[in-house]
Amino acid sequence: MAFPSLFIANLRIIFRNRQAIFWALAFPLLFVVVFGFFIGNGVPTTTIAVVDHAQDQLSQNLMTGLAGVETLELEIRADEAEARQEVTDGDLGFLLILPAGLEERVASDPPAIVTLLFDEGSPTSGLIVGVVRRFLDDANLTLAGAPTLLVLDASGIYSDDVDYFDFLLPGILGMGIMVYSIVGLASSITVFREQRILKRIQATPLRITTFFTAQVLAYLTLALLQAAVILGVGVLAYDANIKGSYLGIGIIVLFGNLVFLSLGFIVGAFSKTAAAASGMGNAVALPMMFLSGAFFPRDGLPTALRVVVDYLPLSPMLDALRGVALDGRALWEFPLELAILSAWIVVASAVAVRIFRFS
Amino acid sequence: MASERDPVIVVEGLIKRFDDLTAIDGVSFNVPRGEVFGILGPNGAGKTTTLECIEGLLNPTQGSIRVLGMDVPRQAREVKERIGIQLQASSYFDYLTLREILQLFQHFYPRHIAVDDLLERMDLTDKAGTTVKKLSGGQKQRFSIAATLLNDPELVFLDEPTTGLDPQARRNLWDLIQEIHSEGRTVVLTTHYMEEAERLCDRVAIMDQGKIVAMDTPQNLVRSLPTPYEIKVVVKGSLSQDGLETLDSVVNVRAGQDGGFAIGSTNAARTLPALLAWAGREGSELEHLEVQPSNLEDVFLSLTGRGLRD
Repeated sequence: MAFPSLFIANLRIIFRNRQAIFWALAFPLLFVVVFGFFIGNGVPTTTIAVVDHAQDQLSQNLMTGLAGVETLELEIRADEAEARQEVTDGDLGFLLILPAGLEERVASDPPAIVTLLFDEGSPTSGLIVGVVRRFLDDANLTLAGAPTLLVLDASGIYSDDVDYFDFLLPGILGMGIMVYSIVGLASSITVFREQRILKRIQATPLRITTFFTAQVLAYLTLALLQAAVILGVGVLAYDANIKGSYLGIGIIVLFGNLVFLSLGFIVGAFSKTAAAASGMGNAVALPMMFLSGAFFPRDGLPTALRVVVDYLPLSPMLDALRGVALDGRALWEFPLELAILSAWIVVASAVAVRIFRFS
Repeated sequence: MASERDPVIVVEGLIKRFDDLTAIDGVSFNVPRGEVFGILGPNGAGKTTTLECIEGLLNPTQGSIRVLGMDVPRQAREVKERIGIQLQASSYFDYLTLREILQLFQHFYPRHIAVDDLLERMDLTDKAGTTVKKLSGGQKQRFSIAATLLNDPELVFLDEPTTGLDPQARRNLWDLIQEIHSEGRTVVLTTHYMEEAERLCDRVAIMDQGKIVAMDTPQNLVRSLPTPYEIKVVVKGSLSQDGLETLDSVVNVRAGQDGGFAIGSTNAARTLPALLAWAGREGSELEHLEVQPSNLEDVFLSLTGRGLRD
């Protein structure tokens, strides 16, 4: 059978081409790592230094309570003067000073003063001051024996919030598949034609459609591998949240991949060298990468532009990917997106077949 | 039962046009089984286009082609199962080894010969695990011929098989082509080297500007020339050009740069004794005497007024 050997031969050709593998895997992973590094994951923890002059039951309770707040980390300090200097120097973000005799001065007049020093320039200062204030308020109410009148159900604040990295990961996946499918296929087709390999295949009884089908199938396999690696690194190394089904994501990846492979065939039909194919392919892919919202939501685009951009193939692909990955929705909830992708597959592959040249 | 001399290729009135350009302008010929048939001509004469029409790679604009009794291009796929095609300057996949390429190509044919035997025969066994890129020019051509023989074809097409090779590699390839022929395969090759055509081909079609201008065995083509022989002579002292022109069977005399003369003759066997007798009478001592048969280059020159590699 010619088909399995052709499929394996195509996989070999793809995987032995280190430059192509760089663009397929290393390039999108680089985005994952760089964004993961800069953005971090989840809500960052903040360190608060505490100088405890009281050393009594109340100060202990306060500190245990503060340490229980998920985003705070306490650091016990003995030397108040030194800690103050560190805040002044910008080396320490927050310093909480619990005065001596805290417990005895409860309900005395004037009340005990708990001091919180912080660096005004710190981006999270407002948040932390709020957390500490709320904590002291709670303590006041408890100490005063006031009845609990209102309870805030604060669940869902830290739990599984979608952060920027979660939003980016499907964008990077879509970008990686798009760039490699267009540029990789366009350059390989160009090389096959210009080195007269296509003509050599035509000189055998093999149907040329069998040859291209095997090639497309090899690229689809690589796309699924790309998806597995990019999502795998995002989830395992950077704690990205994927809520929907991986099967759904895989199917969207295949739809998008077929569009971009057809575009790759079209680019390959026009270019005479692998370098030209790569340049032309990037000229098609890069504007789409920025416009269709691989890195930023498309909401910011001018309305007139959005009307067009919404129908570029990367847009519905990313919308469906994010819908499944971030919102945990099912694949069938995106009929419009899948319809746009299908229309692209039909039109682009028809154009590709029409304009393709063997020599 | 097909007879030994049945034509394996019958081309009649073949015309191929590309837009405004007429690449082949009414070509007809037959190739009998077992022959080495050469198409000789300068670049752009239409040699490759003719081959590609016969191979079923190009659709002819007009005319009929039968290969192994089948119609081309209608039955091109069946024909391709039984012929071997070596394309001019075609290459193979960059990232596959020689063995992997042949193992891939063998799946394209209903029957094939063993890959390792083929590599062994082409003296490429120790290169089986490397890629085509790492081969020398001669090795590349041998590999390309290996791929051509993979389906054990009855009919082999070689398009300029030795172009760009050094003289040693060219001679090796000639031996290989003769070996392929001796196995009973019919060989059709194109070339613009007259020496190659003379050495390998039973019959030669000379093509120029899309037409066959002459077709015969190399010997007959040369004999059909007005001057199949050229006699070069240098003497001590002087010889008169007019005297030389009166000698038996002499057609023309040209003065050479070395003070000698080149005498065009229809029959060297008659001109030579006459020349010697005449020189004796004149008292001239011959310093150098050389009889050269004309070659296909001269045939092409006399038919078209141009050299093969102009």
